[in-house]
Amino acid sequence: MPEMPAEHPNKAAFLARVREALGRTEPILHTPDHAPLKSNQARQEEKVRTVLARVAARRPALCDRLADVAARASWNVHRAATPDRAAEVVADIADGLKARHVVRTAEDVFTRVDVDGALRREGISPAILAAGRARRRSELKPMAFRADLGIVGVAYAIAETASCAVIQRKGVARLASLAPPVLAVVVEADQVLESLDDFFALMRLEHQKGRSHWAPYFNFISGPSRTADIEQTLTIGVHGPGKVHMVLVG
Amino acid sequence: MAQVKSARFKQASEQAVHDPKLQHALAHVMDHFTNARAAAIAADFPEESWESMRERAASIKAHTVERLDYYLDLLDRSVRRNGGHVHFADNAAQASQIVLDIAKANNVKTVIKSKSMVSEEMGINQILEKNHIEPVETDLGEYIIQLAGETPFHIIAPAMHKSRKDVSELFERWLNTAPTEDITRLCVIARDALREKFAIADMGISGANFVVAETGTVCIVTNEGNGRMTTSAPRIHVAIAGMEKILPAIEDLALFLRLLPRSATGQRITSYNAFISGPRNPSDEDGPEEFHLILVDNGRLNLLRDEVLRESLQCIRCGACLNHCPVYRNVGGHAYGWVYSGPIGAIVTPPMTGMEAAKDLPYASTLCGACRDVCPVKIDIPRLLLHLRHQAAEGDGKHGPVVGRLERAFIGRWRKAMRNRQAMESGARLARLFQGPFARGGRIRRVPLPLVGNWTKSRDLPALARKSFVASWQERQARRVKGGEAR
Repeated sequence: MPEMPAEHPNKAAFLARVREALGRTEPILHTPDHAPLKSNQARQEEKVRTVLARVAARRPALCDRLADVAARASWNVHRAATPDRAAEVVADIADGLKARHVVRTAEDVFTRVDVDGALRREGISPAILAAGRARRRSELKPMAFRADLGIVGVAYAIAETASCAVIQRKGVARLASLAPPVLAVVVEADQVLESLDDFFALMRLEHQKGRSHWAPYFNFISGPSRTADIEQTLTIGVHGPGKVHMVLVG
Repeated sequence: MAQVKSARFKQASEQAVHDPKLQHALAHVMDHFTNARAAAIAADFPEESWESMRERAASIKAHTVERLDYYLDLLDRSVRRNGGHVHFADNAAQASQIVLDIAKANNVKTVIKSKSMVSEEMGINQILEKNHIEPVETDLGEYIIQLAGETPFHIIAPAMHKSRKDVSELFERWLNTAPTEDITRLCVIARDALREKFAIADMGISGANFVVAETGTVCIVTNEGNGRMTTSAPRIHVAIAGMEKILPAIEDLALFLRLLPRSATGQRITSYNAFISGPRNPSDEDGPEEFHLILVDNGRLNLLRDEVLRESLQCIRCGACLNHCPVYRNVGGHAYGWVYSGPIGAIVTPPMTGMEAAKDLPYASTLCGACRDVCPVKIDIPRLLLHLRHQAAEGDGKHGPVVGRLERAFIGRWRKAMRNRQAMESGARLARLFQGPFARGGRIRRVPLPLVGNWTKSRDLPALARKSFVASWQERQARRVKGGEAR
């Protein structure tokens, strides 16, 4: 665990001025009365159990909702009944692009969805963006920037907003889902959550469990990279992928 | 700190109103935003539930602002526990110095930036350049205005006043590219130019849409992916946030991520949201090794201290009040003369930069209340504007009045004169003499002279009668007496 950085020398004076501006002289010592802060780990676990039971009970409907919201948010949605079929869909996407450089992250989903095998049958060998795979970290950036296609798994997918939540950890490079012009995301049915509230309830529990659980970086991908900065005209694919595929398994 | 040009509001807004290109852009973009917002809200929420979301958001922000010292402390400890550095800057100069110190300690040559309004307050780009560090804006709109050497025209559409031809000319001049009017092609040019910078930059500077105290998480909302790129590709990430950007808990984000994109661009959610709580773990594949969060006051204490203006610290910078404001829709963003424009800019600019220079801004409103109706955190903007007008006219306790000084002096004289028979009569004689050239049909409609010119532009005065009542009465009495004698 890294050392905790020191307190900034201006902190105490800064906070004292804020307090004075608010007309108080003493600091607040107890957790203020704000509901989301009041739930301890046991209660949060209970809450998360309820969330997971609810989404498990509604799974088929949530998958349909995710697919529907995603399609309207400019995702290319592919439903695959089996992991093998999902791998084929990903390979077809690569083939359709005539992709030469393909990168993927190293998530569990790829032990079930064998995209490597399917890609090799198309004559493409994907590079795995992970420093552990005999590659130095400094090589990851150029590899990601050169790739024609990025393939990633997700931690969760949120039906409400068609957001794919990617949580950084070993094996999950950030740039794989950002640098290539085309992105394929593989989502498994049991990763689908109903709402943003569900997701953040889960994340708060991770934080409560301690540093080894808490990821310093996670992000939502909710559609293609877009801008309307010139004449308010929608243009796709600025800094991130202009084409995004969601392969929903099961 | 960025230069404050708000004293020129009247001239600048007049110029804007007579600029046909600007008027065309404003009409087009403003309608686009307001329509998209209305459609996005109607698609998902009945009116009552949107209203109750706004109420909840307002109460969470008010709760946080009232306990800002507590949450700043919690945030500081959370970020440092995650291995990040936290800095507290009283003003723009201190914040800039912190950035420079980090850059110099790490021998940084190139800095990539995703959108940050606080960095606009600091004028950080000029400061970096002076210190031989190249700053590159990566939001397409910000990149365009950086090339043009301008400031953002609109909080979420910084280059909305530029046509595709303007952009093509800028790229031609700075990037040596062939002219084109194809917007997709223009985006590709920018993408390629910025890719080179992403590859070499040692440091990324971002803003923060929200900062979560309990987990120490900076949340960045973007559509282009530049926010993710800026916070992922370089070795060092520096996030700069106004001290009011805090939310207590990560679960609060669900509500605010529903309100912000719908209010701003009319989207259900933006394409990307990044949640950064510290430097990467040693086992992570990529991401910055160092993370810094700079929390900035820069005049916000002046808002916090005033119990009425405090409400403005709830703002989440969505830009909806700009889009719905009849004044902004006509004069545009640059007329306001500093970083923040529109109704919220008219509120925060005077306390943050000084009332004297920005005294016209609280008057740049019809008080129609459209801004209040669309504000996702229910800031009562017209009430705050009236409060500022009161301070401008009567003083704020520390400073004297800054508007109506001439009127006040005139009324003082007037009062004295009206209490003294002789003074009144000689004043009236003088006035009769001078009104001659301006009085038409018993009214003074326009006096094209300095000082009074502006005052009479919007006011008609009854002209003084050729003779005063007393004089007429005395003459009449004199005639009667004469007549009586004759009889």
